[in-house]
Amino acid sequence: MDGLVERERGDRRAVQVCRDGRGRARDGVVTGRVMDRMHRRLDREDRDEENESGYDESARAPPHEPGGRQQRHERDRPGHVDLIVHAENGKGSDRFRRGRELRGLEDRALDTADVGVGRGRSQQRSGQGDDRQDAQHEPHSSEETCRTQRGLPIRYTDPVYALGLAARWLHLASSVLLVGAVAMIVLAGRSDRATAQRWERRVLASACWLALVALASGVVVVGTQTALFEGRAAAAFDPRAIGQVLVQTQAGHVWLVRAGFLALLAAFLSIRMSVERRADWRAARGEAVLLGVAALVPLAAAGHAAAVEPDTARAIVLDGLHVLGAGIWVGGLLPLALLLRAAASEDGADARPHAVLAARRLSRAALGIVLVLAATGTWLALTHVGNVAGLVGTTYGRLLLAKLALLVLALSLAALNRSVLLARLGGDGPTVGRPAMRRLSGFVAVEAGLALAILVVVVAMNVTPPARHEPPVWPFTIRLSFAALEGRTAEAARALIGSQIVVVGLVALITGLAIRAWRLPLAAVALAALGAGVGLALPPLAIDAYPTTYLRPSVPYQAGAITAGAALYHANCAGCHGARGAGDGPDGRALPRPPADLRAPHTAQHTAGDLFWWISHGIPGSGMPGFGSRLTEDQRWELINFLRALSAGFGARGMGPTIERDRRWLVAPDFAFTVGPTPPRALKDYRGRNVLVVLYALPGSRPRMTQLARREGTLAVLGVEVIAVPIDADPDAIRRLGDDPRVLFPVVTEGAETIVAAYRLFAVAPHVELLIDRQGYVRAITRSSGEAMDFDALVAQVQQLNDEKTAADVAPEEHVH
Amino acid sequence: MRAWKAVLLINVALVLGVGWGYAFWGLRVGRLERQLAEAKAAAESGIERQWTVDGVVRAILPELGVLVLTHGEIPGFMPAMTMGFRVASPKIQEAVSVGDAVRFTLRGVPPNVAVTTIEKIK
Repeated sequence: MDGLVERERGDRRAVQVCRDGRGRARDGVVTGRVMDRMHRRLDREDRDEENESGYDESARAPPHEPGGRQQRHERDRPGHVDLIVHAENGKGSDRFRRGRELRGLEDRALDTADVGVGRGRSQQRSGQGDDRQDAQHEPHSSEETCRTQRGLPIRYTDPVYALGLAARWLHLASSVLLVGAVAMIVLAGRSDRATAQRWERRVLASACWLALVALASGVVVVGTQTALFEGRAAAAFDPRAIGQVLVQTQAGHVWLVRAGFLALLAAFLSIRMSVERRADWRAARGEAVLLGVAALVPLAAAGHAAAVEPDTARAIVLDGLHVLGAGIWVGGLLPLALLLRAAASEDGADARPHAVLAARRLSRAALGIVLVLAATGTWLALTHVGNVAGLVGTTYGRLLLAKLALLVLALSLAALNRSVLLARLGGDGPTVGRPAMRRLSGFVAVEAGLALAILVVVVAMNVTPPARHEPPVWPFTIRLSFAALEGRTAEAARALIGSQIVVVGLVALITGLAIRAWRLPLAAVALAALGAGVGLALPPLAIDAYPTTYLRPSVPYQAGAITAGAALYHANCAGCHGARGAGDGPDGRALPRPPADLRAPHTAQHTAGDLFWWISHGIPGSGMPGFGSRLTEDQRWELINFLRALSAGFGARGMGPTIERDRRWLVAPDFAFTVGPTPPRALKDYRGRNVLVVLYALPGSRPRMTQLARREGTLAVLGVEVIAVPIDADPDAIRRLGDDPRVLFPVVTEGAETIVAAYRLFAVAPHVELLIDRQGYVRAITRSSGEAMDFDALVAQVQQLNDEKTAADVAPEEHVH
Repeated sequence: MRAWKAVLLINVALVLGVGWGYAFWGLRVGRLERQLAEAKAAAESGIERQWTVDGVVRAILPELGVLVLTHGEIPGFMPAMTMGFRVASPKIQEAVSVGDAVRFTLRGVPPNVAVTTIEKIK
């Protein structure tokens, strides 16, 4: 029982961590207001502790039998704390279940892990957040949360899940076909030929059925979704649970709206009305398109786009356009194939002109649509994937590649249809027009089939967390980077020449496309030039790469991690690499290759992920052992943070008290500190202001501290915050500074050891002042023995900093080497 | 009925439905939210309030009757910062010295608040 209580407490912590991170995290599916309400409830319950009778008894129904199975299923998977609690704590932890449900909603919904993982990251990046929580709770709490959230929330093997996927595809396909069908009718226009009218009636009737299929499959989607949210299969039949999902999640709202339009459309299509007159026809068919679009487009607001930050509205609009374009193009193909087939048959001759017209119109519309799809798709891919590592190294990225491959196939087919078959439709008669029409009908049907296969990939992408939020696994043994050319002039020249040849090849290619007569020879020249250029330019750019190369550090660059890393370094690495990282340790002499000088500024060629790989797996043939089994993942990242600070500190030797204009390179590691009994603060909180970090030691620093205390008003006006850190880490530092003159800037009473240990890598002196700019870079370092100094010099430096344009630059955390 | 008339009717019904929903639900929610905010603001102004906060004494200015404290967040009043507070009686200043970690009570109608009690912690 104790174990359970312990566990409950642990998980409660996790919930709290989540809550604390809420401000930074993206709500995604769950609207902010709902989140707030949930949190308020949680708060209230925390206060009530045992006395929870006041609310919503039904939501606390004990787990059903199937639920239990589901949870046991969960338990087998590592990193899935959330539902375990559910099962093990039963009633006692129901108040956490609320928070958990919330997280469940976020973790599993369409945008799902997107949100959860994003949160884990953002929380870590915020770094300080961790430190604070560490100060308040036990250190593993946030780690646990992150692990929980990073755990793969998608279980491909569950039957519920598979059913959900199938239903999703059916739903998407029927919605898309529905819109395409009604749009195709409008595109083709009104015809008074019997065959065309028969086709129109058939398409409309199937559209009506498609609306019903979309509705039905949508219900299944919502049911399976609810089951996944709740973590129990029975929830799919629990009206209350479904109601909760519908009312409280954005995905639910979207579904309600779409279901309304689908039902309306089905009803509208089932009404028989006379469309003899042109106005009536236009109104009826236009209305069908309107309702179909209204039923399809809101899908965008329930997908990954809804979790994009900060451009949520733009992402949803672009995704909506993408969905609409795909709907008209993909959905229009099948009705067109039907029309062509009907027209190509013996007795369909009357509809042939109409079919030709329809094919031409869709073809023309498709050209524009494909352009729209390409533009919006590119933007969305940049948003969701971001870089090459994400494209080739994550599930989402690879699905996108698969989608693109299928798309290229479909587009080639479309181009063939357009350029060859469409041109032949003009001729009528049994030898030219009709066979071409029949063949076109077949090809269009194949194209539609390909498009439906693309939808399978789309569904898979919908339920996969976007690449940006996943750690990429680099699949190749090399990567290409301009950093490889640094200091190698011969290779740089080779790359340059190669790139020129590529340009020549491209010019030849474009010319060949433009001038029909020279097409063949020019194409050959282009191919040869492209091949040669690429072969010449690329090899010099190659750098060894490892699966972890593009992994981002899971431990933020902050003082605590650096000092932890320093301790690990001295325990594990100093023997060979030397106490100061110069590669001169006593144990390193006998090794086949001399240990690396870790201070050397060669790190631009190596990503943090490279270091992670070497530390984890060693370097074969060099004597560098792997520490994967001895150090935890976080420890390895801490070590890398220390190495980063070590290398940066080596470079910082030359940094003096005057700033170099617009040269930002030395990132100030974030740190947490406490002044007396007030809640902890972080260096990061001061982003946007200049900060003067003063590492001082009494009595030597007394004159300078007196000076700073007297002139603090001036500094405050200039936008400088002073943070004084006693080198001896005295908790009584404020009292020791005394009250004459009055010291009113923050004096660190807790956390000073860590700050001093980390920042001493940059400068060692009895009294050190580091001037940090508004973006979080150390710009000037003053080393002294604490005597009073020229205050105007400091003011001049600060004024120069204030004169600099602070571009909306990347935060220093993003710079990783 | 002609089809275009039926379509027009449907669209008008849709627009009316959405408008009706907005008028009877959206507007009401907006109004309620505004009222809530107003009520909150009213409750927070003009009424004497009291907070107990932890902090650390940074300076004592007996001649002004002011105590400079670095304090944690004062919910609904101000975030964590270092600032001077009036003291309700001179005795309060005498009880503490610079560097003391304290728990103090702040009382008054914002923004006119004063330190009414103070005790050392730890």
